[in-house]
Amino acid sequence: MKILYGMQRPDEGEIRINGSPVGFHTPADAIAAGIGMVHQHFMLADNLTVLENVVLGSEPRKGGIALDFAAAHKRIKEISDAYGLGIRPDATVEELGVGDRQRVEILKVLYRGARILILDEPTAVLVPHEVEELFGNLRDLVSQGLTILFISHKLDEVLRVADAITVIRRGTTVATVDPKDVTARGLAELMVGSELPSPETRESTVTDVVALSVRGLSVLTDGRAVVDDASFDIHKGEVLGIAGVEGNGQAELVEAIMGMRACTADLLTLNGASIADWSTLRRRAGGIGYIPEDRHRHGLLLESPLWENRVLGHQTRRPNARGIWIDRAGARADTRRIVEEYDVRTPGIDVDAAALSGGNQQKLIVGREMSGDPVLLIASHPTRGVDVGAQAAIWDHLRRARAAGLAVLLISADLDELIGLSDSLKVILRGRIVADVDPATVTPEQLGSAMTGAGEGA
Amino acid sequence: MLRNRVSKLAAATTAGALLMAAAACGGSDDTKASATGAASQGAGAGGAAQVKVGLAYDIGGRGDGSFNDAAGAGLDKAVADLKLGKAQELEATQGETDAQKEQRLRLLAQGGYNPVIAIGFAYSGPLGKVAKDFPNTKFAIVDDPVEGANISNLLFAEEQGSFLVGVAAALKSTKDNIGFVGGVDVPLIHKFEAGFEAGAKAAKPSIKIQTKYLSQPPDMSGFGDPAKGKTAAQGMYDAGADVVYQAAGGSGGGVFDAAKAAGGMAIGVDSDQAALPAYANVKDVIITSMLKKVDVAVFDFLKNYVDGTVKAGPTVYDLKAGGVDYSTTGGKVDDIKSKIDDYKQQIIDGKITVPSS
Amino acid sequence: MSSFLDRLTGRVRLGGWLAVAAPVIAILFAVLITSAVLLVAGNDPVEAFRTLADYGSQPPTMALILNTSVGYYISALAVAVGFRMNLFNIGVDGQYRLAAVVAAGLGGAAVLPGVLNIVLTIVCAVVVGALWAAIAGVLKVTRGVSEVISTIMLNAIATGVGSWLVSNYFGVLNGNDLATRPIPDDAHVPGIPLVAGAPQPVNGFIVLAVILGAAYYVLLNRTRFGFDLRATGQSETAAVASGVNVRRMVVATMVISGAVAGLSGMPELLGASFKYSNNFPTGLGFTGIAIALLGRNNPVGMAVGALLWAFLDTSSDALQLLNISKEIVQIMQGVIVLSVIVAYELVHRYRIVAEQRRVSRELAAPAEPEGAAA
Repeated sequence: MKILYGMQRPDEGEIRINGSPVGFHTPADAIAAGIGMVHQHFMLADNLTVLENVVLGSEPRKGGIALDFAAAHKRIKEISDAYGLGIRPDATVEELGVGDRQRVEILKVLYRGARILILDEPTAVLVPHEVEELFGNLRDLVSQGLTILFISHKLDEVLRVADAITVIRRGTTVATVDPKDVTARGLAELMVGSELPSPETRESTVTDVVALSVRGLSVLTDGRAVVDDASFDIHKGEVLGIAGVEGNGQAELVEAIMGMRACTADLLTLNGASIADWSTLRRRAGGIGYIPEDRHRHGLLLESPLWENRVLGHQTRRPNARGIWIDRAGARADTRRIVEEYDVRTPGIDVDAAALSGGNQQKLIVGREMSGDPVLLIASHPTRGVDVGAQAAIWDHLRRARAAGLAVLLISADLDELIGLSDSLKVILRGRIVADVDPATVTPEQLGSAMTGAGEGA
Repeated sequence: MLRNRVSKLAAATTAGALLMAAAACGGSDDTKASATGAASQGAGAGGAAQVKVGLAYDIGGRGDGSFNDAAGAGLDKAVADLKLGKAQELEATQGETDAQKEQRLRLLAQGGYNPVIAIGFAYSGPLGKVAKDFPNTKFAIVDDPVEGANISNLLFAEEQGSFLVGVAAALKSTKDNIGFVGGVDVPLIHKFEAGFEAGAKAAKPSIKIQTKYLSQPPDMSGFGDPAKGKTAAQGMYDAGADVVYQAAGGSGGGVFDAAKAAGGMAIGVDSDQAALPAYANVKDVIITSMLKKVDVAVFDFLKNYVDGTVKAGPTVYDLKAGGVDYSTTGGKVDDIKSKIDDYKQQIIDGKITVPSS
Repeated sequence: MSSFLDRLTGRVRLGGWLAVAAPVIAILFAVLITSAVLLVAGNDPVEAFRTLADYGSQPPTMALILNTSVGYYISALAVAVGFRMNLFNIGVDGQYRLAAVVAAGLGGAAVLPGVLNIVLTIVCAVVVGALWAAIAGVLKVTRGVSEVISTIMLNAIATGVGSWLVSNYFGVLNGNDLATRPIPDDAHVPGIPLVAGAPQPVNGFIVLAVILGAAYYVLLNRTRFGFDLRATGQSETAAVASGVNVRRMVVATMVISGAVAGLSGMPELLGASFKYSNNFPTGLGFTGIAIALLGRNNPVGMAVGALLWAFLDTSSDALQLLNISKEIVQIMQGVIVLSVIVAYELVHRYRIVAEQRRVSRELAAPAEPEGAAA
């Protein structure tokens, strides 16, 4: 994928576009050849507007030097309307939710006149009806003669949207199949090379002991309540799922519980002790593990070795530290343990975190956050953008820890994951917890409509 | 090898070349030997052509249109008139340490250069140390009283010259409002200010004097930033001044520009700046300049050296000795010349004592 | 992924021989460029570089280089502490000068005898430097003022305050030089005759510089504080999520940076000039920035950088003897810094690609079932 987009050179083999071989040295070559890429991790400048982000690198010229923003504005509007992307060119990217950002990425590629689109895990951040919209758009694009390379771990989506499916495992093409001839299960087995994982949790392990108790928690941003009066309990051995469309206050809620964001709360206790005045560090040391939504921004030091990443967030505790000193030997030994126990695929603990695949990075984070006997684990999108194998492993670990009495706050955009793992499920909409849902009975479609407010009170 | 550069430099003076090579390559072991063996001082000892002058400039070096240039002019004149050997000139860099200045002087003394002249009081401490190590080399320093058996101090009564241009400024001012722009707020420049103020008050007791320094030490940028000079002078003209005296080295050009723009008058410093090609386009606004004849002092020192009459200790270049003066280029002070000369005579006669701070 | 700025300031490390390759390439490149400039100016580059090498290898020059580099190195350490956590302390210059003024005033007053006076003077410099830098840190965390802006402003204010203190309180006029009262002989830090055949000994502060370099390494790489600092520098968001109190780190780092900055003026004050005069060297803080960039904030790299810089600075006289403009030194210094930045960038990209290849190659070797790579 990176080779196709000119970010890496192939060692051997060739690429042909419309029958003629091409060689890309840089992404610019690929763009010139009509290949556009929508990255899984957005490549947008937060403090610029959508318009500026879109034109960045292919600025419209007027009279040689001056930028022609008016023309760009018009074109962006046209493209946005034509494919129903609903983009406001003048909003800054900072203000946008993850879903909007992705649409900006798609628009950016179209703006550059791409004829071949590479979409890397495009639906990971979307709720079902948004996925439907996206697929509608994609079909429109295809009918207009564009080619789309759709990379996804979500097999049902691939089956629905694709005209041809190629399965890759460990960098090798395993099979090329026609979606009409294959089932989701068959496809998954091709991918994993073994039997299919499922997020289903078997028997309940919920206890009576409250691990985290939240009453009347609100977060204000610019005078607006982005989390409004949230209240819930999580018991030991319970997974509480929060369902909601991206940008409805989940991220803020998590940050408030972690102490990374100012909030007001009538009550915030962990194991019965009030943690409202605790710093993030103390909360972590007090037994909160945290799998952040964006592991690149919040979970890892990408250009530091794995063992230093093991220390991150646990720098006051054994085996990583002794007094004011970092215990290198201890941290390294424990990193080896995590790599072993959590099956992190790496040649060693001295490689940079950036060199690992997303799934292995995530397994490292899960392993790290599970160590030190946490009371509560906050898992934000724990399997976003990871491969099926890693996903199954992470689910396994969550289930095992839950059985051992861990309380889990699970935020996810993957409704199957939410429904499958959660013992109880709450829906968040515009910062308010609007509904309790029973994960045993709800379907993804019902949940999706509750999340968008269509089935309010459901 | 160093011999390359050495032979290139001193191609004409064979004896000196060998000594230099030895000194420069050998380090301190040879220090004493080279210093002793270096061209000995005295009339006719091998002739003036064997006199090789070493000159260490302050920051700015040749081309500063002011102080260093004046020293360079004195050296050039001496080399031409007294038929000296090729001189070696080295220049200081911004922000350097005393150790680096010391090394510069040492390099010259070791290289067999004799006499060695240091321009500016910044060399005070370093020269004190180096002179002790080279008892047979004659040193001179401009603007500093550092003592030593082989150090001649070339000092100037800047306040006396400044007094005269102060008189000129007061007499020429129709608004009874004049200004002084100092380069850097250091004691040396305070002497210019004090003399200027005393002269102006003597001529016109009610006169208003605006004062401004362009930078604070150790930030020496005020001596080399015409833009700062222009801004400061502009402010003074706007505030009602019609004559501004600058003692600001390379920043002085900005003062002249401001004078031209404001239709005012300005007074130059150190050299006869109205006669300098660099200021040809602003020479109309320069009514006079306070002359600080560093060139004369340097030439005198070298002449004494060749004649074998160098004496250690201070030589004060004041009005009486003709070391400071005012210029009349352009004829803009011809109408008041008699009055200025009257004050000049009183100072020479000791009837007026000009304050120096 | 790391930003260009991260790599520029060395918050991202390079492994093994690559870390050495980059500066070597850069210096060779700088020599090439400088040669071209010399040729254009009509000088013989071979002769010029030979002269430089010769000049630099003489004992008096070596001693001078060492002495000059001591202050440079300490200043670079001060800058590097900030760089490692994304703080640009442009104010090292003002911090060391103000610290030197106050320390010189106190030391010259000789309230304590001998060694105690040395200690008092040094402590005073450390405290003044730290406090001055803390202003910028506090402004940043309470008012969101960029430390770049505030430290530049504070440099100007430090000049004014220092000048005012010297003129009104500490200054003694000697000829045309206004300086603080000289620190008495019993409170001079003795030199060490390290270089045989040099007329002057090596500044005793070289010992302190070595200790500070080691302390810098230990602080950053072995302590929790250092870990937090580096984590914040690499990714502030990740540091916040990990529980680092970034505001406290900003102030603490500025204080440390300022304290070290305060020390950087001490080799000159207590080991060479013994007073703060109009000729006290300026610009040490900016030299420190260049050296920190050159040495990639690595304690050994910066030592090499400081020596190289000091060598170039002291060689201006040797060049002038060859009738080569001394400005060539500045050209060379500029080109070296630029080429080091470019070389590190190239090497960095090479390393990223190489490491990703290595990981995928090593993982591909043992074929285990399970796991699909995207």
